[in-house]
Amino acid sequence: MIDRIRRAFGSIWPEFYRQNNQHLDPYFTFTNYRKIWAIGICLLVVTALVPLLVVTIIHYQLLQSSVDSELKLRTERLASNARRAVTYFMEERLNALRFTVNEIAYDQLTDPDHLAEILRNLKLGFGGLTDLSVIANTGAQLAYAGPFNLEGRDYSNQQWFIECQKYHFYVSEIFRGYRDAPHIIIAVKSFRPDGSIFFLRATLETERLIQTLSSYETGAHAEIFLINRSGIVQTPSRFYGDTFQKMSLPVPAYSPRTQVALAEDDQMRSILMGYAYISTQIANTPFILMVIKQKAGMMQVWQQLRSNINWFVGLCTLAILVVIIITCSYMVNKLYRADKAKAEAMALMEQSNQLATIGQLAAGVAHEINNPLALINETAGYVKDLFVLTEQYRRDDELIGYIDDVLDAVERCGTITRQLLGFARKFEVKISKVKLNEAIADVLVFHHKEAAYRNIKVHVNVPEDLPPIETDRGKLQQILVNLVNNAFQAVDNGCILDIQASPAGADKVCIVISDNGCGMPEENLPKIFEPFFTTKEGNKGTGLGLAITYGLVKKLHGDIAVKSKVQEGTTFTITLPIRIQEEII
Amino acid sequence: MKVLLVDDEKKFATMLAKRLTLRGIDIDFVCTGEAAIAKAGTQSYDVAVLDVKMPGIGGIELERKLKELDPCLKIIFLTGHGSKTDFETGSAEAACYLAKPIQIDELIKILREVTG
Repeated sequence: MIDRIRRAFGSIWPEFYRQNNQHLDPYFTFTNYRKIWAIGICLLVVTALVPLLVVTIIHYQLLQSSVDSELKLRTERLASNARRAVTYFMEERLNALRFTVNEIAYDQLTDPDHLAEILRNLKLGFGGLTDLSVIANTGAQLAYAGPFNLEGRDYSNQQWFIECQKYHFYVSEIFRGYRDAPHIIIAVKSFRPDGSIFFLRATLETERLIQTLSSYETGAHAEIFLINRSGIVQTPSRFYGDTFQKMSLPVPAYSPRTQVALAEDDQMRSILMGYAYISTQIANTPFILMVIKQKAGMMQVWQQLRSNINWFVGLCTLAILVVIIITCSYMVNKLYRADKAKAEAMALMEQSNQLATIGQLAAGVAHEINNPLALINETAGYVKDLFVLTEQYRRDDELIGYIDDVLDAVERCGTITRQLLGFARKFEVKISKVKLNEAIADVLVFHHKEAAYRNIKVHVNVPEDLPPIETDRGKLQQILVNLVNNAFQAVDNGCILDIQASPAGADKVCIVISDNGCGMPEENLPKIFEPFFTTKEGNKGTGLGLAITYGLVKKLHGDIAVKSKVQEGTTFTITLPIRIQEEII
Repeated sequence: MKVLLVDDEKKFATMLAKRLTLRGIDIDFVCTGEAAIAKAGTQSYDVAVLDVKMPGIGGIELERKLKELDPCLKIIFLTGHGSKTDFETGSAEAACYLAKPIQIDELIKILREVTG
């Protein structure tokens, strides 16, 4: 099971990754395909991904900068708008008081009924006013109109009154005062007919101001509130302190214009802080308008966008990597296969060259040996003749046996030299139409007796409609004789020899000779077509049979291949062209 | 049957001639093509056994010249090359080719065949 998984996993790897062709290594153009593959992948990854990543980073920065800028602009706009609203709120009411003291005589102002009438009109006209009172220069309240019982109060020690005396127009911060409710005092200084000073004072509801501020939609991560110049929170804040408590942020530095700054709050959250010192045309106010936006919250949409972009870039990167790896593997595999095919061709060519060279050498050696062999043969033959003719030696079987041994050895040497010569021989070629079934039958005629004696079953399967091929009958028969001889030597008694022929494509035929004999070890297969390679014990084989067969097949422009397994048998497959011409041989 | 043996290997020719003589064949031997032509000019032979490769006049050329002298002369080639196809004789007339080392019985059989 583990082996099966390992095999399945191994088959995923491209062919070059499992490269195991040590015998072809010298013929490969490139030696390290894994390195080529890795370099290719690295180069493509760098080429493809670096621009993508650089563009993504630049895009991030631009987007971030744009978002920051937009956020800052919006904060500034919001702060400016709110500032205008608060300023207008104060200015409107101050001007109303100013108009009142200018238009209405002091006597009428100090008349409680008339003052109540004025308060009612101001409420109708502007709203947000709680009460109205006239206060003397000494701090004594001269007249009062409003819902509280404040007649005759003395404000001389009140902080707001002391401040009020310094200016013509006055706006207080929000405070609780005598009635213990948050309110704002606005006051206008004026003069009696006798020249002494009095103040027209009004109390403003803070709810109206708070409503004005809360009318701005800020969302969950931003808020608008007022602080005074000491940093005391004046209107409710969700995050930075309760009303009348010190704000948890530092008081921003004075600026006549609306400002926006990047800061961190007490919980180390990054915030955008917009602020504006509220100041009307006729009076300063103690208020600072604060617009606080928590950056993380405001950037949620951007963060979501960035997350989406990250996913997209990640998936793109993954897709690019997969495509690069697949493409690289495919291309390098193609290159490897082409190189392997070339290496195999070169190895084959070298083998052929070696065969040819050895053949030529063998022919030369054989020819040179043949002449002394002939002399030994004739001399030994003559000595034997003399012995046979001489009465004294004719009956000496031992002596005659020795001479016969010499003659047998010479004959054997002659056989070897003839085979050597045959190996390198330039064959006379005679092209004729050959029917494969007839050629095979002719060859098997010589083996009928041996097959019958050894109980070897020979199966021949050649289709009747297989067309004759144009080739050299003699060489084809020699090929078949050699292979059939080989098979007969390889099989034990009772084995099977199978000979099949079939078309192989449009212009070739295939002859398969297989046996179920002893087979050959895999390591011997690359060498079996080499001259003098033999596995036969003793001196039974010259090692030239298959080398000659190989040369003959090549002469006929064919191919021969062998498959073999020990104890399972051997299969020779010969592929021959249907037609060859004499001149190309 | 009168046989002329031509082979540049003198010892081989001597031994072969002696063996054939022992077997009742009338044989002369020479070691060069020139000597063979001279011999054939003085005597008539039924069969000439020629080595293919010889210094001077080779077996192929010698065949042609001997045929000119006696068109009825039968020719047997001896070759160290193992087969007739290893040399291009240009002649289809040679009676037979024998590869060295030869079997004496086979040579005698062929001699008898070519001389009828």
